[in-house]
Amino acid sequence: MLSRLSRLGLALPRSVSVLSTRFVSQSKADSAISSTAVTELYEPVNQSGHGEVSPFAKNPDFHGFSTNPEEDVRNMKMGFFLGISVALVIGGTFIHYLPDHGMRKWARREAERLILLREKDGLPLIEENYYDVSKIILPSSNED
Amino acid sequence: MLKILLPSILLLPSTWLISPKYLWTTTLSYSLLIASASLMWLAAPAETGWSFLNCLMASDPISTPLLVLTCWLLPLMILASQNHLMLEPTNRQRTFISLLISLQIFLILAFSATELIMFYIMFEATLIPTLIIITRWGNQMERLNAGTYFLFYTLAGSLPLLIALLLLQNSTGTLSFFTIPYLPLTCSDPWAHKIWWTACLLAFLVKMPLYGAHLWLPKAHVEAPIAGSMVLAAVLLKLGGYGMMRILIILDPISKELSYPFIILALWGVIMTGSICLRQTDLKALIAYSSVSHMGLVAAAILIQTPWAFTGALILMIAHGLTSSALFCLANTNYERTHSRTMLLARGLQTLLPLTAVWWFIATLANLALPPLPNLMGELMIITSLFKWSMWTLILTGLGTLITAGYSLYMFLTTQHGPIPNHLISINPPHSREHLLLTLHLLPLLLLILKPELLWGWSA
Repeated sequence: MLSRLSRLGLALPRSVSVLSTRFVSQSKADSAISSTAVTELYEPVNQSGHGEVSPFAKNPDFHGFSTNPEEDVRNMKMGFFLGISVALVIGGTFIHYLPDHGMRKWARREAERLILLREKDGLPLIEENYYDVSKIILPSSNED
Repeated sequence: MLKILLPSILLLPSTWLISPKYLWTTTLSYSLLIASASLMWLAAPAETGWSFLNCLMASDPISTPLLVLTCWLLPLMILASQNHLMLEPTNRQRTFISLLISLQIFLILAFSATELIMFYIMFEATLIPTLIIITRWGNQMERLNAGTYFLFYTLAGSLPLLIALLLLQNSTGTLSFFTIPYLPLTCSDPWAHKIWWTACLLAFLVKMPLYGAHLWLPKAHVEAPIAGSMVLAAVLLKLGGYGMMRILIILDPISKELSYPFIILALWGVIMTGSICLRQTDLKALIAYSSVSHMGLVAAAILIQTPWAFTGALILMIAHGLTSSALFCLANTNYERTHSRTMLLARGLQTLLPLTAVWWFIATLANLALPPLPNLMGELMIITSLFKWSMWTLILTGLGTLITAGYSLYMFLTTQHGPIPNHLISINPPHSREHLLLTLHLLPLLLLILKPELLWGWSA
C-alpha cells in the first residue's frame, strides 16, 4: 500500500518501488505529525550544470526544431502548414478528383453495357478469336 | 518530369547559400513543395503506357508510385535529422542536407530512366551518398564495417550486371525500355544464356535483399543515422525490386526454370528472418530484419511475374516503405532519449510517452499487415498469386505471416507495455517535430486505403 505514495508512479508493483524508497518516517523529531514520509534511497545526482540539460528547461514551448524560440516556432508553422495543409490536404484533394485511374471504371461500365446489348440481341458475349480470321494471311505450307 | 527534377537540383545551391538561421526551415519547406508537386505524376493519361515523356525520362504506372515515394521522403528525412545535427557546425549540416538532396536526384533519375544503362548508372550513383551518410554520421564504431559490407555486397552484385548490359547493347544496339520488349533475344550457348540471366538479376537480388545475400542490410540499417536508415528502408530496397520488374521482360523464356531456387530462397528468407526478429535485443536490427522479411515476399512475387504478383509487389513496396521508415523514426525517438538501441532499456513507454505510443501502435499494426491497410492488400495478393503458382508455398507464406505478427507484437509489447525500468529518470516529452514526422509517414498510409488503385500498376 505504501508504494502508492512513491513518487515513481502509481502503477508500479511493490517489488520495484521497494528498491529505492524507505518506509521510515524522515520528518523532524519535534514535528507533531510523524507522517510516514518516503525518501529516496539514491539522492538525485547533482551534475552542477555539466549534465544533459533538457531543452524544455530553457524553452517550455520547445517544438523540436531549434533552440532559438522564434526560429523554432517559424519552422514548426512552415512544417505543419506545408506538410499537412498543402501536401496532405490539397494533394489529397487533387488525388481524390483525378479522373478514372487506368480507365478501370470505364472498362467496367463498358463491359456491362456490351453484355446487356449482346444478351438482348442474342449474340455471343465475346468472339473466340481476338483477330478477324479472314484477315490473317498465312504463308503456304509448300516446301520452297 | 523536369518540373520536379530541376527544383530538386536547385535545392543544392540553395542549401549552400541560405543563412544558417533559415537553413532547416527553407529546405523543409521547399522539399515539401516539391513533394506536393510530384503528385502530378499520378494524373497520368490512361491510354498510353509511358507518360510525362522526354528523350531520357518517362514514368509509367510501375515507376510513378515509387517516384512519388522518393519525393515524399526527402522532407521526412530533413525533419528527422534536424535534432541530431543541431550541434554540428553549419557547413557540416549543409553537407548532410546536400547528400540527402543528391540522393533524391539520383533516385528520381533512376526511377524515371528509360534506358537500362542510365538506370544502372543511377543505381550505382545512389551508393555514394548513402555510403558517406553511413560512415560519416553513423553513431557507433561498427559503421565502418557496415559501410564496407554495404558497398562491396552491392558492387559485387552489380558488376556482372554491367557486363550483361554491355553484352546486350552490343548484340541489340539499344537498351531503351521502349523497344526492348519487342526485340528478339536469342543466345546460342545455353550455359552462357544461364550465366547472363544470373548476371542480370544478381545485382537486384542483392539489393532487395534476397535471403542469402542479405548480410549487408542489418549492418547498414543499424549503423546509419536516422535519415540513412529511412532512405535505405523506404526507397533503396525498392530500387532492387523495380530493377527486377524492368529487367525480367528480357529474361524470358528460361526464367520459368531458373527463377525456381530464388523464389524458394526468398520465401525461406521470410521465415528465417522473421524468426531472427523474435530473438532480437536491438530495436533497429529488429526493424532491419523485418525489412528483409517483407522484401523476401516482394522478391518471390516479382520472380513469378504474374499480373497479380506484380501488383501485390508494388503495393507492398510502397506500404512497407512508409511503415518501415516510420518504425525507424520511432526507434530514433527512443535512441535520442536513451542513447541506446537495446529494447529492454526503454520499456513501458506507453506510460511515459502516451502520444508516441499511439504512433507505435499504428506503425506496429501496419507492420503486421492489419486490414484494410495496403500492407495487407499487397501481402494477400502476393500470397494468392504464389498459391496459384504452387500450392506448397502457402505453408511458407502462412507461417511467415504468423511470425510477422509475432515479432511485431513482441516489439510493441516490449517497448510500450510492462513496468517502467528504474533507470529512466527523465525522458523528454515528444517534440512537435516528431509528431509531424510520424503524421507525414502514417497519414498517407491510411489515406492509401481509400484509393489503392494508385498503386496497382498495370492490372485492374
